[in-house]
Amino acid sequence: MSETGASSAFEDAFHKSAERHERVWVFVAVAMLTLLLAGTMFIVVYAYGIVVRTDGFRRDPAAVEAPEGSVVKTGPNAYTVTVVARLWRWSPSPLRIPKGATVTFRVTSADVLHGFAIQGTTVNVTAVPGITGSVTYTFNRPGTFNIVCNEYCGLEHQGMLGRIVVAGDPA
Amino acid sequence: MSATAIPGALLASVAAPADVLAPQRRTMLAFLVWGFSALMIGAMIGPLQALNYGGVNAYPALAPILKSYYQGLTIHGVLNAYIFTFFVTCGLLVYLPARELGLAPNMALWRGCFGAMALGTLMLLVAMFDNSSSVLWTFYPPLKGSAWFYLGMTLVVLGSLMPLPILLDLRARWKARRPGEVTPLVTYMSLTTMLMWALAGGGALIELIVQLNPWALGLTDTIDPIVARTLFWWTGHPIVYFWLMPAYVSWYGLLSKQIGGKLVSDPMARLTFALLLVFSLPVGSHHQFTDPGFSPVWRGILTALTLSVALPSLVTAFTIGLSLEYAGRLRGGLGWLGWFTALPWRDPSVAAQVLAMLTFIFGGAGGIVNGSWELNNIVHNTTWVPGHFHITVGTASALTFMGVTFWMLPHLTGRALLSRRLALAAAWLWFAGMSIFALGMHWAGLHGVPRRAWISMLPRSVYERVYGDAYFALFLVAIGGCILWLATIAFYTVFLGSLGTRRLDRRPAIPFAQAFGGRESYALDGGEPVGIVANQEVSKLARALEHLGLITAFTAFATAAAYVPIFWPFLRNVTAARGWVVW
Repeated sequence: MSETGASSAFEDAFHKSAERHERVWVFVAVAMLTLLLAGTMFIVVYAYGIVVRTDGFRRDPAAVEAPEGSVVKTGPNAYTVTVVARLWRWSPSPLRIPKGATVTFRVTSADVLHGFAIQGTTVNVTAVPGITGSVTYTFNRPGTFNIVCNEYCGLEHQGMLGRIVVAGDPA
Repeated sequence: MSATAIPGALLASVAAPADVLAPQRRTMLAFLVWGFSALMIGAMIGPLQALNYGGVNAYPALAPILKSYYQGLTIHGVLNAYIFTFFVTCGLLVYLPARELGLAPNMALWRGCFGAMALGTLMLLVAMFDNSSSVLWTFYPPLKGSAWFYLGMTLVVLGSLMPLPILLDLRARWKARRPGEVTPLVTYMSLTTMLMWALAGGGALIELIVQLNPWALGLTDTIDPIVARTLFWWTGHPIVYFWLMPAYVSWYGLLSKQIGGKLVSDPMARLTFALLLVFSLPVGSHHQFTDPGFSPVWRGILTALTLSVALPSLVTAFTIGLSLEYAGRLRGGLGWLGWFTALPWRDPSVAAQVLAMLTFIFGGAGGIVNGSWELNNIVHNTTWVPGHFHITVGTASALTFMGVTFWMLPHLTGRALLSRRLALAAAWLWFAGMSIFALGMHWAGLHGVPRRAWISMLPRSVYERVYGDAYFALFLVAIGGCILWLATIAFYTVFLGSLGTRRLDRRPAIPFAQAFGGRESYALDGGEPVGIVANQEVSKLARALEHLGLITAFTAFATAAAYVPIFWPFLRNVTAARGWVVW
């Protein structure tokens, strides 16, 4: 088979078995990735609240609508919070909410990029200057959650921390 | 076994009349030395960042040179991720195909590539060391660095595209003399990589030329941050394959020979590269999963499609794994794992590359997490992400490139490697250091520790309150960083030391592998035995994959189709942000 005559019985046998196993492997790989894809899509539909939606654009990032950092009650134990990121602080902080509250965070930045992440949750939104993004999350566990800026925003980036306090009893 | 015999033509003697290959070797050496010098600076800074996560703030002691963690991190990222990888890749992906085909590359273009990137590097170094551009390697506006930074970056990207015309010309000349035959494998893989990069580089080039350069030069006052960010990730996702594919070139094209075996499947190597070209480009927006501004449904579809890029890597795991097994069996390895321990572990080039592969198994698995939806939300922009790319580009690619230098330096200079043992030590230390570092980074990321944050500057009480849960993980990060310092010192002692050792009697040849069913040599001239060519009779797949123009055109179309719906809302809702210099 080989033109150099370097072939051997071992090489031929190895080659044949390799081609057989190769087909099995490719089938398994494709099947696994298809299942992962289906699982991923299912979770997206199931936990749609954490998917970032677009709540509006503005030409001038600094022209943030007032009132900044407002908390509006929109239903029984449901709130909409307008989160504004600035060098190097979050408003509102600390945010106090009752246990079990479903909160829609409308997140934007007035200057550079920031990252709105609530430690220990799946809330993770880029605060983009000029765009407002929103996510919804239900706080079922009481305690203090740290808001951590996770997008580099300059010299005091590491200190851009905030707090959400979830009270022990439902409202 | 023919695989262990030394072909006579291997001796491209130093005394050969008119050594026509000398200019190519010198240029290749220049690419290697410049690239690895960049890594040397970047890698020496790296452990400072690891110590930062362990709560040790070394920056005040370095104040005259580095004013902040962020300045150090910018230098580390730019030099390691762009300068190091681009130089090594633009050298290897021209030199190896040229030697495989036995044709001289267009030297003017190749030197031009070096010159453009070298000038760009110098501009970047000025802009980074004077602390005018501590914008990190992602340089997201409206953080605003100096014009030197963006102009330097533009030159580096433009230079990195120059191997493409060189490769197209090499392949056309070879095809003209071997009509109807399939392109030899190393050339095929190199060309596919460059075609991918040409399509990928468009995003960064548009961002730099249309947005950042005019803005930094004062011609425009404001910039649209989300457009810049999206253009960046158009390039920023496929760039990971621009880092990885050259390592694959070595794994598929050379390593089998180095371990005394053969590549078990030439067509699967081609398929892997063609799939990487197609799959890596349209899905960059999954890096923007947490960004507002465009349709979540469309983003979801693209994010899910990201998982497709795992397929070529899983095929690689099989093909390379089996090639290792074949060589191990030939060397007498028995049983389930005997073939693995029977590999030539005493060869530092082999050890480095096999260890690089081992870490990539974990890197690939972590990549699937990043590409999954809800999981990504937990790890996005935490230390998980740099943990991930330090075992992918930082080990799978970087350690493979180090392994390549262990045979290539003697090949290029005709001088002995300074110390085989020290080279082995460097490879193992890098592997151990990166493994421990990455374990800590991944783990800390699950505790919500953000990436690229100067947390050792925080008051101790705040550090404890916010990141106390991750203390052990962050300790591992610092330990891993210290081991990597030792690895760096060991590696550069070998690398730099080998430039001045005794001359060898014979120059080691390029270890081009042979594939099952393939011919041994396909060089036209140039005197070295070379090449992997698919068996014409058996491989319809290899023949079908020769249509690189069509595959590239399809990829370009798919990429455009993926990005039009993303850019549409941005173009209708322009943001005019002013620049900020806040470091």
